[in-house]
Amino acid sequence: MTKTLVSAKDLRKNYGSLMAVDGISFEIQEGECFGFLGPNGAGKTTTVKMIHCVSPVTSGTLIVNGLPAHINNRALKKMTGIIPQEITLDVDLTVYENLIIFAKFFDIPKREAKKRIAELLHFVELEAKRNSKISELSTGMKRRLLVARALLNHPKLIVADEPTTGLDPQARHLIWQRLRQLKSEGVTLILTTQYMEEAQQLCDRIVVMHQGKILKEGVPSKLVAEQIGREVVEVRVPKEEDGRIVGQLAEFSSGHERVGDTLYFYCRDGQGLMRKLVELNLHNYLTRPATLEDVFLKLTGRSLIE
Amino acid sequence: MNLSYRIYYIFLRNLYSYKRFVVPTFLVSLIEPLFYLVTFGIGMGAYIGYFGGKPYLYFLVPGVLVSSVMMTSSFECLYGTFVKMIHEKLYDSLIATPVSAEDAVAGDIAWGAFRGLISGTLMMTVAMVMGVLPASVLSAVLLLALMVLVGVMFASLAMIVTSFSPSFDFFNYYTELVITPMLFFSGVFFPLDKFPPWMKTLSEFMPLTHAVKISRAVYSGTLSSGLLWSLLVIVVLEAVAFTIGIKSMKRRLIK
Repeated sequence: MTKTLVSAKDLRKNYGSLMAVDGISFEIQEGECFGFLGPNGAGKTTTVKMIHCVSPVTSGTLIVNGLPAHINNRALKKMTGIIPQEITLDVDLTVYENLIIFAKFFDIPKREAKKRIAELLHFVELEAKRNSKISELSTGMKRRLLVARALLNHPKLIVADEPTTGLDPQARHLIWQRLRQLKSEGVTLILTTQYMEEAQQLCDRIVVMHQGKILKEGVPSKLVAEQIGREVVEVRVPKEEDGRIVGQLAEFSSGHERVGDTLYFYCRDGQGLMRKLVELNLHNYLTRPATLEDVFLKLTGRSLIE
Repeated sequence: MNLSYRIYYIFLRNLYSYKRFVVPTFLVSLIEPLFYLVTFGIGMGAYIGYFGGKPYLYFLVPGVLVSSVMMTSSFECLYGTFVKMIHEKLYDSLIATPVSAEDAVAGDIAWGAFRGLISGTLMMTVAMVMGVLPASVLSAVLLLALMVLVGVMFASLAMIVTSFSPSFDFFNYYTELVITPMLFFSGVFFPLDKFPPWMKTLSEFMPLTHAVKISRAVYSGTLSSGLLWSLLVIVVLEAVAFTIGIKSMKRRLIK
């Protein structure tokens, strides 16, 4: 039997007159990796900030590990590890000092902290940088140090807010591996991301957020199958031809969308659709498997969000 | 207010970071008093001669002592805290740990006061080397206590300014319109009795005036009951500024 670790009901958050989170409900089970997906300003970060008790709840209920989330709830902060979106390392201190001081904040005894720091520097492959200044680290190293810092207190819950923003593929994969490893050790993981690949790699369940609301919830692969199908065919044709083409292809596709110069067809039978395209003498097309990105774009719209 | 022993951890964090700046700040803290004492004390003192039976330096030292505490504590909680809050985003990571926003701000106030204490102590040491000694060992101990009191007061006042400051430049208003005038209206360099009545009244509203009065009396070992009023002003203002400083910083840190 799985236990619910986080439970939100009709959760709201206002910043003055701005409604950042608009009455959302969700449950996160112990040991799972739960992802919040959404464009900038969707309310993902605000939601996780309420979960890890640094931002007060405007209304609704939010229970974490059986306790109401509240900015003065030191017990919840003690069992949570945060990998923040921004690099909030202490630039006045060295790598080691960053960790030893942070361990103090969690009341970890010095001897235990030293042992833990050695383990963690190994875990994130930063042993060689132990006495370096923060300014001497690359972005990837800084992010890895943030991961190590978040693990000092042996957290039961890890909140990772866009943990791989600005990283090269190698560094990103290393972080993913570490997060998966933690999950296999039974840690509950809450992730916010704009990278669909990241969500597909790590998350058991996701919610797609937009303008403070949850649009969809589910298992990534099932959401793709339900919302899009198996394949996407992109056809580059002028807009004027839409009427003619869409009618001809209706029997093969489960839906279509026009964005800029491209017509997107969501389909279960890509082969059939392509044969038809050739018959219609349309050769400028591309077929590919459907991904979470298609779901995301279908739900939140393909135009720019600012 | 959600304060705890974790204030000490923030103090400790600042001590770790201070290791790297200790030499330059010590030099500044030494050179500044030397400037004051040499230029004003010796240069101007030569024209002024004796003040109440003693060389001008005896008048100057207790005043400069508390004003250097004021300067150092204020700057630490203006510029130092602002950098940590806005540029380094240090508070953001602190408040996600069991350290509360109140702990973090109080820890920085304690740190500002400590920096003030270092400045004041260095100043007193220089004065003693120049032969200007406090009346007794007890006087010296009381002066240290006074420096802590004055440091916490000005650190807290600075924290209030930092809590609503949009940028670095904003601090100029506070330093130029509040701190600097206090230096000249609080009887640091000369007695206030030749001021017209309205200026005397004005100086009574300046916390530094009261700090200077106590400092001077303690330094020369001439305590009187009139000082209790000055002490009360400082303690009350300190308690109020500490409370407001922490609350308004918390409002800025937690959204």
